[in-house]
Amino acid sequence: PRQALVDDTEDVSLDFGSEEELALRKARFRHPLATFFHLFFRVSAIVTYLFCDWFSNSFVACFVTILLLLSFDFWSVKNVTGRLLVGLRWWNQIDEDGKSHWVFEAKRVPTIAASTEAEARIFWLGLIICPVIWTLFFFSTLFSLKLKWLALVIAGISLQTANLYGYIHCKLGGQKTLSRAASRLFATADVPKSKYRAV
Amino acid sequence: MRDLKAVGKKFVHVMYPRKSSALLRDWDLWGPLVLCVSLALMLQGGSADSKDDGGPQFAEVFVIIWFGAVVITLNSKLLGGTISFFQSLCVLGYCVLPLTVAMLVCRLVLLAGAGTISFIIRLIVVVAMFGWSTLASTAFLADSQPPNRKALVVYPIFLFYFVISWMILTFTPQ
Repeated sequence: PRQALVDDTEDVSLDFGSEEELALRKARFRHPLATFFHLFFRVSAIVTYLFCDWFSNSFVACFVTILLLLSFDFWSVKNVTGRLLVGLRWWNQIDEDGKSHWVFEAKRVPTIAASTEAEARIFWLGLIICPVIWTLFFFSTLFSLKLKWLALVIAGISLQTANLYGYIHCKLGGQKTLSRAASRLFATADVPKSKYRAV
Repeated sequence: MRDLKAVGKKFVHVMYPRKSSALLRDWDLWGPLVLCVSLALMLQGGSADSKDDGGPQFAEVFVIIWFGAVVITLNSKLLGGTISFFQSLCVLGYCVLPLTVAMLVCRLVLLAGAGTISFIIRLIVVVAMFGWSTLASTAFLADSQPPNRKALVVYPIFLFYFVISWMILTFTPQ
């Protein structure tokens, strides 16, 4: 019959999505900048700490540089790379009556632009290995009695462990329950609450 | 950018302390970090450290400020305060701003000379800023305490800013 003939010869458009989406799906790194910066600040801080004698004679300059690197790392991991690379986020919120809550959320549905496995692996490795290294520095500083560095090492450990703890809390909470209604209590103005679920 | 604006807003709130919720609700520790580092940098090069590069003194100021703030926060929480840990750290840190300004003024005055007049000027400036810091932080922190405990909370804050003011006043450049 004529209908079948028409169907055979008709061009069927297969919906793979646009060129960009295809490239995005195939790419190993969908957020190359975020991945780079996730590791850049942490590794620079560690490298500067190890080789500070080569860079400068001044203790103060090294201290301030490492502190700045650690702070930038904390800010970028908490606000940017966690959200982009693994779809998790956490923050502190204070109510009208002054009570403070810690909120941990995980992304509900992975979108096209969500991250790849390689990125997630880099994220978690970077997140876990660096606090361990700073803890090693803590012990080496303590036992070699270079106590003026102790304040910096403790600051490094606290900042990096804070992010580690926050993201692990998000991750573990997410695996417990798959379907949880979006938290109405913690909705903020700039967050599309359908994309994230509270953990 | 949003964070920078939030930090700036808090600095303004400290200089004109009113009972506002901005400092309390959206706490952040960037301001205290910047203030602590600048204060520690300005306290460098005093006659206390003669042969080394000022390393220990820098770290000392840092530790005094942060450790002191943590201890005051613990104190106020143990006394039954309703404010959260980081909020209190935030307020105490931001209220170091007047003293940082005092340090700046002192360094400028010391450029002109280190005589009696300069000491009197520095004394007045430091005492004024110390009073400002203490009042500003008390305005934010004491409200979270029951009324019969206010003095117990204010006293450590007084001591904390007193120690910092002492460090500023007794600073003499090499």
